[in-house]
Amino acid sequence: MAVDQLIVMILALPLLGALINGTIGKNLPKQIVGSIATIVMFAAFGLALMVFNSNHEEKIIHLFSIINLDSLTLNARFQVDSLSIWMTLIVTGVGSLIHLFSMGYMSHDKGYYKFFTYLNLFIFAMLILVLGSNYFMLFFGWEGVGICSYLLIGFHYSDEQKGMLNGLAARKAFIMNRIGDLGLLIALFLILMQFGTLEYREVADKLLVENMMPTTWMMFGITLCLFIGATGKSAQIPLFTWLPDAMAGPTPVSALIHAATMVTAGIFLVVRSNFMFETPGAQATQDIMLYVGLATSLAAAFMAMRQNDIKKVLAYSTVSQLGLLFVALGMGAYTAAMFHVTTHAFFKALLFLGSGSVIHAMSDEQDIRKMGGLKKYIPITHMTFLIGTLAIAGFPLLSGFYSKDEILAHAVMHSPVIYGILMVSVAMTAIYMFRLYFLTFHGSFRGSEEAKHHLHESPKSMTIPLLVLAVLSVIGGALNLPGVILSKGAHWMSHFLEHNTRGLELIETHHLSNSQAMLLMGGAVLMTLIILFGTFVVYVKKNSVAKADEELKGWELLSNKKLYFDEIYNALFVVPVEWISVKSHQFIEMFILNKSITGFTGLIGKSGDVVRKWQTGVVSSYILWMVVGIIGLVVYYLIKF
Amino acid sequence: MELFVIPLIFALVAAFAPKNVVRYVGLLGAVASLVVTIVHAISFAPEATVSLVDPNYITSFGLTFKMGYDGMGLLMVILTNVMVTIILLANLNQKIANERSFNAMVLLMQFGLIGVFTAMDGIMFYIFWELTLIPIFLISWWYGAPERKQVLVKFFIYTFVGSLAMLLSLMALGTYATDFSHASLVAVTLSAKAAFWVMGGFFLAFAIKIPLFPFHTWQPSTYTVSPMAGTMLLSGLMLKMALFGMIRWMLPLAPEAKSEMTCLVITLGLIGIVYAAIIAIKQSDIKRVFAFASISHVGLIAAGIMLFTKDSLTASFIQIINHSLVAVGLFLAAGILENRLNTREFSQMGGVAKLAPKFAFWFAVIGFASVSVPFTSGFIGEFLLLKGLYGYNWIVGLVAGTTLVFGAVYTLRAYQLSMYGSPKIEGFKDLTWNEMLAFFIISVIIVVLGVYPQVVIDFVGPSLDNLFNSMQASNTLVP
Repeated sequence: MAVDQLIVMILALPLLGALINGTIGKNLPKQIVGSIATIVMFAAFGLALMVFNSNHEEKIIHLFSIINLDSLTLNARFQVDSLSIWMTLIVTGVGSLIHLFSMGYMSHDKGYYKFFTYLNLFIFAMLILVLGSNYFMLFFGWEGVGICSYLLIGFHYSDEQKGMLNGLAARKAFIMNRIGDLGLLIALFLILMQFGTLEYREVADKLLVENMMPTTWMMFGITLCLFIGATGKSAQIPLFTWLPDAMAGPTPVSALIHAATMVTAGIFLVVRSNFMFETPGAQATQDIMLYVGLATSLAAAFMAMRQNDIKKVLAYSTVSQLGLLFVALGMGAYTAAMFHVTTHAFFKALLFLGSGSVIHAMSDEQDIRKMGGLKKYIPITHMTFLIGTLAIAGFPLLSGFYSKDEILAHAVMHSPVIYGILMVSVAMTAIYMFRLYFLTFHGSFRGSEEAKHHLHESPKSMTIPLLVLAVLSVIGGALNLPGVILSKGAHWMSHFLEHNTRGLELIETHHLSNSQAMLLMGGAVLMTLIILFGTFVVYVKKNSVAKADEELKGWELLSNKKLYFDEIYNALFVVPVEWISVKSHQFIEMFILNKSITGFTGLIGKSGDVVRKWQTGVVSSYILWMVVGIIGLVVYYLIKF
Repeated sequence: MELFVIPLIFALVAAFAPKNVVRYVGLLGAVASLVVTIVHAISFAPEATVSLVDPNYITSFGLTFKMGYDGMGLLMVILTNVMVTIILLANLNQKIANERSFNAMVLLMQFGLIGVFTAMDGIMFYIFWELTLIPIFLISWWYGAPERKQVLVKFFIYTFVGSLAMLLSLMALGTYATDFSHASLVAVTLSAKAAFWVMGGFFLAFAIKIPLFPFHTWQPSTYTVSPMAGTMLLSGLMLKMALFGMIRWMLPLAPEAKSEMTCLVITLGLIGIVYAAIIAIKQSDIKRVFAFASISHVGLIAAGIMLFTKDSLTASFIQIINHSLVAVGLFLAAGILENRLNTREFSQMGGVAKLAPKFAFWFAVIGFASVSVPFTSGFIGEFLLLKGLYGYNWIVGLVAGTTLVFGAVYTLRAYQLSMYGSPKIEGFKDLTWNEMLAFFIISVIIVVLGVYPQVVIDFVGPSLDNLFNSMQASNTLVP
């Protein structure tokens, strides 16, 4: 099959799955519903692999024109190049495993068919996002994944206790994303004004080949607005608070949408637009991106330190890792960022699914204070979770070690201060992850007897994805080994991406000398080992347990309360807008406008009373009025002529 | 001719039909009219202007009786027929559908609307414009909520006064023209000052009907006290007359005043977008939320129309259609809640999704269409309108863009407060077949236009060119 058909099929498969399950899924047995959804995903992944193997050049697939006006043409068009096919592989690959996992995880849920419909629909929207050949298609997918995310966060909306809260979390996610979307939309308008097109290729050609020189302000505006869009979807300061709340959704959703794929859309957007971010005007945006990423990485890592909900820890960890990615993008390290996106997809999906397996075993308990000693009850989950933890903490030779190290290497070259701050964030990551791991799996069980009785390892459909992801988390680093490890064939992934992604081939990548690289790695390894030992002592040897909420003081309270971001936003935005809403309704609407109009229409009604009195019913008075009228007319015309 | 005659005949039949079949007579009338319109549309070439009535006779005061349609006129006629069919279908299981007078009035309204959209003579436009006020007023007067009377009198007087201003403008313009036909009126070149007053008169009538801030105060209360069918007619069709009037009559007739009015109307539109959206956020009555939402949405359309470029007008037509569908869908959902629960207050709703999953699904589809997500016509319409406004002035575009955010806030809030959580009520009857079919038709059109809006673009494009050409021929300024 030619690449054209393959791409169309990759897109059509998840849509087909969603259509089947959405229409008749309610009446099908659960196994069939889950199988349909999962099989289309694996098939799409297989086709994506075929494209990956056969295609080595940029290719455009034109479907039809959505809008064709004189001044503006927007196409349903797809673009196959290294970047888009790589993202497709991640989305369909990790997506397949998470679909498989969900078959077991959601097996007791009433909305089974709905869940898989939404999940397939999400994949469809995400594929449009990554495969589209222009910013309009990206925006299409961008908004599409937003809806699916909304639907899945609020999936348990009719829950007795938490239904309304789940709904609120979903709403918050949607609205915060919408604020970012507004930024993205304006970026689109600016690109249209400047370049007259939204096609990536044409914009890139104008900048790179035709050497068009837009004003500095223009490029700053475009890139800044793109970045604002990215802060929404990829949960950066100031629009990050929705992501931890999004954990209200079922755990596979957290793994797929809120860790591995959707939240990396912002990174993808920047990498895709690298030719704009590399213009002189965008220098300031790059700096903004770097500092926002740095602040987010640090703040989120700090917040994760004293969270006690297993999923919340992972959520803040995701925010923090995304911050790290934006630091990389701010330094122009696009391929390094994509590398970390890939490994992060592996180990964060693994960790979330692992936490799902834990929650499943714990009969829906998510508080790590009620867990402990789980390693002997759920050994496979324990093993894989440990691998995930080591990978994200940067344990030597695991995937996260290499991808993080590459970003750190760029940081060293960029500025030692930034490197130093990043190391703090990296250290905190190791601390809260080992804390999470030890509190969950070591020590003695702290839950109720009943919960202990229920503890069980998850079924195969759940453990197989865990094992596959665990393997990927271990070997994922091989995709882009640094020169110090491998003299020949190093940086495979960077070369692959640079090979035919517009703009990327022009960006010079510097690598550290081998001795510097060794020094850097050594430092990172030493730090990880020290933290591992330290947390082991605190949480296993001394058996410390996380404190109850009331006992928290000082920085612990600050961390647990997420630096009071929610409360501050509430006071700054929600309360004032609601106040304005109520007051303008009371005062402007009901008092000024309504009163004056009622007065006006009342006046007209009254005037009717006056005029009515003229209808006396006496013929002579009518004649009198008539004569007056005629005279009036005659006089008027006499004067006029 | 059959375009007007069919609704009129069926209106008469419905007025005397036996009570147990009258609902089907009404629906049949709407469907028959729709079929005839589709026949017209199939044989229609977008660049053509089709004359329906042209007696070639001018009365002493310049009335020419001319009626006809071009692409945009026909588009509005199709919209009218589709929406009336959907509205009658959606009300088929309501008590109101058994009333002869209700069915007759809806069809009379349809007749009036088709007249408005096909009028090619200023006086005819005015006559049909006023004619539509009577059936909608009566429907709400006869079948509305108990507290309706004062509200409706206010509505009637208010809109009537606005229309009088339009009549004055028409008369003033007529004194300069040979007759009242659209072509003759367009050909008139006015002084800037005269044009300002002419356009001002039209604007007052349209601004009240649309409604634009600050002329909107009749709207939330009228929508709330009207029966479901009345609200649907008001929001789905009646206000579209005014938006269409801006495009067909107000701007082409007095383009000399366009530059002065553009700023004013766009400012009012912008205020309306933000002001109504913010008020909608905290309303406790579901119909009032959607009423204010409607003000916010049409503010955007009116602002887009004032740009008066081919792109912005095309976008406005897409958004006019979208708003009709979405508004009717939302008020259908609100009406279903009100009729089944006997309340419009959120405090007494909640948990309906669990009891009525079909309703929850279709309400959600319409809700998403209302926040303009991809694959819905609103996404395309809003994108193009915002792009136009952004090109006009970036601050205007930015402020108008807040509709993306606020729209999500009030729509999702309304949906969640009514549908989510655990049920507070005993039972809730899920959708009947006719309600489901109505939702289905609405959604299909929304999605088709969301993926392939080109149908609308091709339909109105040539007629917009014609409009610009005729304006250019009369030596007036055209963008």
